[in-house]
This record gives sequence, C-alpha cells and structure tokens, in this order.
Amino acid sequence: MVKAIRPGRADYYQVLADTLPQHALVVTALGNASYLWAAMHHRPENFYFEDAMGLALPLALGLAIAQPARPVVVVEGDGAVLMHMGALVTVGAVAPGNLTVLLIQNGVHAASGGQALTNAKLDLAALARAAGIAGAQNVTTPEALAAAMGAPSDGAGARCLVLSTNPDPEVVRPPIAFDPVLTKHRFMSAIGAPRYVPTMFGGGRLQHD
Amino acid sequence: MVAPGQQSANPHRPSEILDTLKRLGFGVAIAVPDSWLGEILVRIEQEPAIKLVRATHEEEALAIACGTRLGGLRTAMFVQNAGLLSMGAGMVSLAQRYQFPLLMLVSYRGTIEDPVFYHAPKGRVTEPVLKGIGLAYALADRNRPIGPQVERAATYAEEASCPFALLLSQEDVQW
Repeated sequence: MVKAIRPGRADYYQVLADTLPQHALVVTALGNASYLWAAMHHRPENFYFEDAMGLALPLALGLAIAQPARPVVVVEGDGAVLMHMGALVTVGAVAPGNLTVLLIQNGVHAASGGQALTNAKLDLAALARAAGIAGAQNVTTPEALAAAMGAPSDGAGARCLVLSTNPDPEVVRPPIAFDPVLTKHRFMSAIGAPRYVPTMFGGGRLQHD
Repeated sequence: MVAPGQQSANPHRPSEILDTLKRLGFGVAIAVPDSWLGEILVRIEQEPAIKLVRATHEEEALAIACGTRLGGLRTAMFVQNAGLLSMGAGMVSLAQRYQFPLLMLVSYRGTIEDPVFYHAPKGRVTEPVLKGIGLAYALADRNRPIGPQVERAATYAEEASCPFALLLSQEDVQW
C-alpha cells in the first residue's frame, strides 16, 4: 500500500544492486525504471525497456522460462501492471521459482510525468496473491527489501514484492546509449544464448558456439 | 520438399505443423485460445520437447515470446487473427523495435471459408492492418504441404530478425 512517507526508487535500487546475485538477469520497465538502473548498475545482463508499457513483466516471465538456472528480476510499475494485469495470472500459473517481481508502487504514471493512476490505492500484493503468486507482500522500507532479497526462495513459484515508493517524475539521463538492438545483442551474448546459423551456411537452426 | 500441387507425406496438416516445429528445434509455444487451435495446443502440451504457455492476452503472449527468444529458445506463437489486431503497440514498440525473430501461427478467421459469420469483421481488416504495422506475413497455401511452409516462415523470421505471421485455414490447424 502507498504510505505517506516513502523511500525513493534509488533507495530500493541500491539494495537491489547490493543483493543481486552475480548471475542474475534484470529486466526494467520504461522510463526511470530503466534509466536510473542503467545509471546505478549497468551491466550486460540488464534488459532495458524504453516503451512497450506493461510488457516488462511478461517478457521477464518468458526469460525466466528460457533461463531456469538463473535468477530473473523484473522491475515493473504499478501503472504498467494495471495495463496488463493478466500477466500476473500467467506468472501465477507458470510459477517460475527463479522469477522475482519488484513492483514499484508510486501511485502515479511516473513515466508520463506523474499523471494520476486509475486507482492508486490498490493492495497490489493482495491482487498478486489472488492471481496465484502466493508469497506476494508489500514492502515499505529498503531494509525490508534487503531482508526479502536475502531470504532463500522456496522455489515454489515467483516472488512478488510491492515497493511503496515516492514518485520520481524528473527524467534521469541514462549514461549509455539505449539502442534496442544493441541492448538485445549485448544481453544475449552475455548469457551465451545460441545464435541462429543461416540456411546458406548449412544451418537454419539455433546453435551454441 | 514436396513440389507444389503434390500431396504431403503426412496429409494431416495440423500434425505436420507439430512435426515441423519439433524437427526445427522449437522449445516453446506461447498461445491464446481459438476454437481452431484448441486440440493442437493440447497435443503440444503433451510434447516433452516443447513447453506450452497459455497467456491471457495476445499482446502479453507476444511479450512472453520475446522473453523466451531473448533467453535462447526458438519460439512459436499460436493466436487467432483477432490477437494480431489487439497486439499492435507491442508488435511495433517491442517485437519489431528490438528485432525479435518469432514464428506466429495464426488461425485466420473471418474469410469466406469461415462458417462463423461474426468473425467476418476481423477477416476483412486483418491483412490491411498487418501491412499497416509492417508485419511480414503469408497466407498458407492449402494445395501445398504445410510443413515446408511453416519451415519457410520460421526461416524468414530468423534470417530477417523479425516476427513473421503465417495465416492458417481451418484445415491447416484444427486437429
């Protein structure tokens, strides 16, 4: 739930940077979710959204399915999850034990300048639990996030932590180019994803080097 | 490859689609139901080599598919053409912008072959919309084996680094 006095996104991001397992993969939603994370903890295993609001969570679900041996963390916003609430149901149904959903609840559409949400006061953790993510919980302090990130996963399904956060409508300038194809290739190279060998070279298949 | 006009070795076209996906190493299929797709999805669910994910909405399915392909799995989608109409923003701002190769196997409802009249409005606008959003596509030819057509669509997606939609008739895909 949104509290009157809330930590900033950077406070939670510092905890994430400090607790992130080395082989973890991180997907960040559009706007400051990506820009600030790039400024604070850029690494090849980050996949940055620039647009496509509401689709970071389902993309991260697909990534968690394809990379079951790696922890996958996704930072999604409250406005974004309201746009594609069905993705919570799919995450609940697939129940990937390697997926952690960090849901920034700042009560506004921060990426579009702080415009009002349809409903800023929803209990998103209760919503996630109803969608099948059993351990979803509200988090109101960076210390509580650190404790939750440090707790071992029970492997029974995705974790969902709803982070009560102060809005940050001022756009952070990212320190790197946000070329989408570069982002994708850098990420896939970092995780050792198989490459497609074209038909004319005797391939037509995905192959590991 | 079977020459145009000849019968496929496997005349049951839906099972030929499934056999082709298995042969090409597809590891995952992301789907939203349509009555024509119901049984082939059940068959995929029974395949140990292909994981089936049932999504709640086609734009969500598209994003899941981008994620599985990002993670290194060759990825197919099964959706109705209504889903192509409703996933437009994600198509251009995610799948096309990041150049994800995805094979989209689409039940093409609302053509003159479709006995369910209320699909007609979707059938009428599907191809103009696909052209409008720049989504590469082809109509499956019912007089030619379906397996090689699926393989060519999958190859196009990978070699052009983009989603490719193969529009399927009832006899192509309904088990």
